[in-house]
Amino acid sequence: MVMQENDETGHTLSLDYTFIPTNAFGFYIKQEENGKDILMVTPEFNTLLKRWNLPDGQGNIFNMSGAGLAHYRGNNQPCLWTGFLADYESRRWFLSYEPRFVWDGDIEKSFWQRARVGIAPYLANYNDLNTWIMFQVDHHPAKHDHFVATPLIRFFYKTYLFEVGYSSNQHIMVNWQIQF
Amino acid sequence: MKKYLLTIIVIFGLTAAVSADTIKATVNGMVCGFCATGIEKTFRAQPEVRAVNVDLENKLVTIQTKQGQTLDDSKIKKLLGNAGYSVVAVARQK
Repeated sequence: MVMQENDETGHTLSLDYTFIPTNAFGFYIKQEENGKDILMVTPEFNTLLKRWNLPDGQGNIFNMSGAGLAHYRGNNQPCLWTGFLADYESRRWFLSYEPRFVWDGDIEKSFWQRARVGIAPYLANYNDLNTWIMFQVDHHPAKHDHFVATPLIRFFYKTYLFEVGYSSNQHIMVNWQIQF
Repeated sequence: MKKYLLTIIVIFGLTAAVSADTIKATVNGMVCGFCATGIEKTFRAQPEVRAVNVDLENKLVTIQTKQGQTLDDSKIKKLLGNAGYSVVAVARQK
């Protein structure tokens, strides 16, 4: 899977290989913005901790973690990050919450959290274009804008996902994801 | 009489041996294209499988096996379970 996120917090690129359905290993790069312009480069490990399969939906708890290097104004530091993602998704509704902890050596220690709610205006099948209307709220105490709201539209076709939004602090969000 | 009986048994046996299965598994937890793709990949990798189709609306995974081959219920449940989904029921037709 390859995923790129471009939003008011910065630019992220993830490349992951799912070696068993519950675990993926990959590579994570993030260029932070709207605060300290830290560049993080780490391997990452993603694990599905728990899944609930329901008749009309699915609930999950994931852990994502990485350890590598952080670079800020000529200073390289070891860094660690870990996050949890809890979500519930049906063909109509989407809910998620993600807290994340980042330790960039003596550059910065930060915590951020993100919540999302979404609704599909129509129920699409596998071979149809799926459309979601979503609303995201971010809380980033280490950034200039602590609370940011972003309405967005998600398009989803088979293994291709594309999102575009516009945040309350006037940044365009463009995210995409491809599964192989 | 014995000859006729034997012929019938042989024909019936051959028909059963070369026929393919259409298996319909009702599955909980399938909600999106990523789910469907993962399930299709899993079953396409099985040598017994000729075709697989995921129907999110009806929560159905339809598997067609190759002539003379089959997938037993326990293997279907194991494959879907390992992929992260729960099998509610398996129905099959020749």
